[in-house]
Amino acid sequence: MFGLIGHSTSLEQARSKALELGFPEYADGDLDLWCVAPPQLVETFSVTSLTGKTIEGAYIDSVFVPEMLSRFKTARRKVLSAMELAQKSGIDITALGGFTSIIFENFNLLKNQQIRSTALEWERFTTGNTHTAWVIAQQVETNAPALVIDLSLAKVAVVGATGDIGSAVCRWLSQKTGVGELLLVARQPQPLLDLQTELGGGRILSLEEALPEADVVVWVASLPQSLSIDPASLKSPCLMIDGGYPKNLDSKVAGANVHVIKGGIVEFWQDIGWQMMEMAEMENPRRQLFACFAEAMLLEFEGIHTNFSWGRNNITLANMELIGAASLRHGFRSIGLNQAQLPQLAAV
Amino acid sequence: MSSLESTIAATAPATAAAVTALGASAEQALGLPDFSSSIYKDAYSRINAIVIEGEQEAHDNYISLGSLIPDQAEELARLARMELKHKKGFTACANNLSVIADMDFAKEFFSPLHGNFQTALAEGKVVTCLLIQAILIEAFAISAYHIYIPVADPFARKITEGVVKDEYTHLNYGQEWLKANLESSREELEQANRVNLPLVRKMLEQVAGDAAVLQMDQEDLMADFMTSYQEALTDIGFTTREIARMATAALLG
Repeated sequence: MFGLIGHSTSLEQARSKALELGFPEYADGDLDLWCVAPPQLVETFSVTSLTGKTIEGAYIDSVFVPEMLSRFKTARRKVLSAMELAQKSGIDITALGGFTSIIFENFNLLKNQQIRSTALEWERFTTGNTHTAWVIAQQVETNAPALVIDLSLAKVAVVGATGDIGSAVCRWLSQKTGVGELLLVARQPQPLLDLQTELGGGRILSLEEALPEADVVVWVASLPQSLSIDPASLKSPCLMIDGGYPKNLDSKVAGANVHVIKGGIVEFWQDIGWQMMEMAEMENPRRQLFACFAEAMLLEFEGIHTNFSWGRNNITLANMELIGAASLRHGFRSIGLNQAQLPQLAAV
Repeated sequence: MSSLESTIAATAPATAAAVTALGASAEQALGLPDFSSSIYKDAYSRINAIVIEGEQEAHDNYISLGSLIPDQAEELARLARMELKHKKGFTACANNLSVIADMDFAKEFFSPLHGNFQTALAEGKVVTCLLIQAILIEAFAISAYHIYIPVADPFARKITEGVVKDEYTHLNYGQEWLKANLESSREELEQANRVNLPLVRKMLEQVAGDAAVLQMDQEDLMADFMTSYQEALTDIGFTTREIARMATAALLG
């Protein structure tokens, strides 16, 4: 059985969802109530692959909302308790979605293996980052040509290049895709230098320097609220893959010949009988989901019960190829440019 | 997923700096309290007394329950003996820190719940008695012990780690009985929950200040209790929606 740990995007949304799901008491509750509420296994469902194989899954809501990010102990407890519930529910492989893996990684929760009477078994969990990185790389490879961007000549900026997903995307683009030039953007100088050495190339730039030069921009760190981008300063056309969480890039760079794709989102070949992706505000919530969630499904389909994506900068090209092949075989495809945009592109 | 700092900045700008700071401080292990300070000992005299009184009452309650369920009297007596052993252990913890437990405070602390148990006992209400002792009090104790263990003095830590394992078997006893008798017990369980769960919340609030001196966070205590309680009710056979209704009744009331 596979599991997905997710959460609502705001307290307001969580309360309205609670009402819809038959938890009116939670809908009435304030943030303090939500802080002490235990995680909930909200639904179970089955998923059938293109190959015909059917697996069972469960969605666990960690009852975390982003308003809790300023409460370190609460955020930590929410993540660990949701993982404890997944393990106690006998789920073999669970993906940490949304802020769950971010909190796990940044608050270094590896040292909190004991939660109450349960010793967490890390091999039951995956960040899903390998699949996310592969999907983002695919989104670059498939959509750039549609915008008449020749990747072998293109400059591709990766914002958040030194993160787990960012570094994997850089590795893939430089070694598998073969892009014209990689522009490496991140906040800390030393990891950037290390990455540049590992890749044997790539130019380190600030965000302000990189944006006007880039034909393609891969965002794997979400935009700071204060940042404003002048679309006129960007190349035309410019392909942007919004791989951050939450996805808020299109509101920043709307208009002009800038094309934003929601990064790391996949679509399944048929409807899935679940309710929870509606919370993630997917365009087609019956079929679309985060690639990190899909990784748990893929690992279950393939019988790979291990923490496939774990820790930072451990994603190999071989594992990306493995999960990518599984992704295609079982019926996932990366979402691409909005079809409505394409006639307009033909005129470019 | 992407980095926390940048992501938070996008989501909750006002709190971004606070989170970064918290994230950084989280890396530093929180120092243990000064067990020999007078402020610690003062708080400990009440918390420790609650634990000692709780174990004594648990003993008495299990013995009493034996009179309502005679065929289980032997098993209940065994559980009761374990509680007395725990009481001795926690008494030793106070001695170790040269603290005199404030038993008057503890008796007063338990009196509303104690009163409800005695009333139910007199009326022969097994379900209510089990809910109070084997579910509410045990879940309360388990969560408090879990929160206490990481911040306890080394002596008390060892004792408490041993105790918490036993308490799970007691919680389990209540769960098993109620699970087996759920259909006939459901109404009484819900009623007993409505009356007694708010008392547990009040008890938690009452000790929050002293618990904080021991570095036990009130929100952690409540959240852990809710988790243990939800687990127990799930095992008994309630749905998550029913549990949400039952659990939040106390919190919102």
